[in-house]
Amino acid sequence: MNTKISGILIILLALVAVSFAGCTGGESVESPSGDALPTEQISGDVTVYTIGIDGEYPPYSYIDTDGNAQGFDVDSAKWIAKNQGFEVEFQPLAWDGIIPALLAGKIDMVYSGMTITDERSLKVNFSTPYLQVDQGVAFNNDSEMTFEDFMAGKAVVGAQRGTTGAIWTEENLIATGLISADSLKYYDNFPSVVTDLQNKRIDAAIYDVPSLRDAIAGKPMEIRGQIDTGEVYGIAIRKEDTELLGKMNAGLDNLMDDDYWQELLVEYKLVGASPR
Amino acid sequence: MDADFLINILLPALWEGLLVTLKLIILSAPFGLLFGTLLAVGRVYGGFFVNLFCRFFVGFIKGCPLILLLFILYFGLPSVGIYLSALLASVIGFICCNSAYNSEYIRGAILSVKEGQMIAASALGMTRIQAIRHVVLPQAMRRAIPGLSNEFIYLIKYSSLAYMITLIELTGAGKLIFSKYFEPDVFIMIGIIYLALVTITTVGANALEKKLAIPGTQGR
Repeated sequence: MNTKISGILIILLALVAVSFAGCTGGESVESPSGDALPTEQISGDVTVYTIGIDGEYPPYSYIDTDGNAQGFDVDSAKWIAKNQGFEVEFQPLAWDGIIPALLAGKIDMVYSGMTITDERSLKVNFSTPYLQVDQGVAFNNDSEMTFEDFMAGKAVVGAQRGTTGAIWTEENLIATGLISADSLKYYDNFPSVVTDLQNKRIDAAIYDVPSLRDAIAGKPMEIRGQIDTGEVYGIAIRKEDTELLGKMNAGLDNLMDDDYWQELLVEYKLVGASPR
Repeated sequence: MDADFLINILLPALWEGLLVTLKLIILSAPFGLLFGTLLAVGRVYGGFFVNLFCRFFVGFIKGCPLILLLFILYFGLPSVGIYLSALLASVIGFICCNSAYNSEYIRGAILSVKEGQMIAASALGMTRIQAIRHVVLPQAMRRAIPGLSNEFIYLIKYSSLAYMITLIELTGAGKLIFSKYFEPDVFIMIGIIYLALVTITTVGANALEKKLAIPGTQGR
């Protein structure tokens, strides 16, 4: 055999060997029953929980230019961690895969402006609600459409996949026959929705009001209507993790009684969204 | 995953998505083949500038991840005033990608046709174009079928990127269901459908290869 070919073969074999080693290494971490392992680690004698967040969801959670997690929920989580005596680290994840990541044990909770819905509640437990929000509908400033046109099904609507804005539109505009399924465009993230609204491919964008306000800040767009969906945010935790749920509920309760809660609401312009 | 979810929610959504996937493939594949052939002929027989253009185009497409190409076509072009629909942007992206790779298979096949055939054709009074069209390409295209069918299979899988620019095809339809109901089995179902599409393509390509084979030229 030609030396060049055998050299290549050896490299290929080495690659295969390394990738197999990687697999078995990964498997040995899993529990034998095949159940997902919580990612909590003990550092010293303090438990560290990994919190999954949407990295592009201001004002609740976002990654700043230095790569640090910021936001209302991030600050809240840090306070609760201190209050309840554990540590937290933040892991940005794709929003439409964040519950599966929680179920698979990649993260310990989702604390990132997640609306409590029936479908989600089937899979995970939610903490006590800590914020209530409405859905907002934004248009270009030069658009002649009104909020009533949107509600009557005259607009092509853009929404982020997996958000309650998308689900609201499916249930209230598509299922009722007001718009065709083609008139709701799904995007990977909300900045893309805003870009396409600016490009005028869509007439309206639907999203949670505080985040929508943040996303269109400085752009020639405005919110022309709000829908009171009565939805509330909660922290999502695996069903079997009742101890963590207890800690987070106790922490939330303490936080909402503390002056810091009001400071946070003011800082992130969420006054009026708190149930207390 | 229970039967009710499968029959009433998952399958109807995937069916809608599958129709879009098929539409994407049907709109892209013929142009991918046509432009792939032109690119290959341009590279083998074209003059300096045609050759340079074809090489540049193929090199650019090969070096650009398809998802990036789709983003440029859909989100980037509006900044210069070109507004493509999601369908058109996807089809253009797929045609570019498909034709660039097809051209390499076809170019290889053209180079495998012996030089003497070209000379013999001109001796018979054929022009260069006639010789390419009637002598070289019929042989080359037959030899390119295995490679082209491979690329067609890739095209089926390229189509799964269209949902990233809002066109809800098979994968996108599945992802929507998944992001609402969190049933990981959705992806297994999608995988089965893609496998079926690919299997049909493979069987079809084999049949085509057999049907087009010229006795005595390819048997060994």
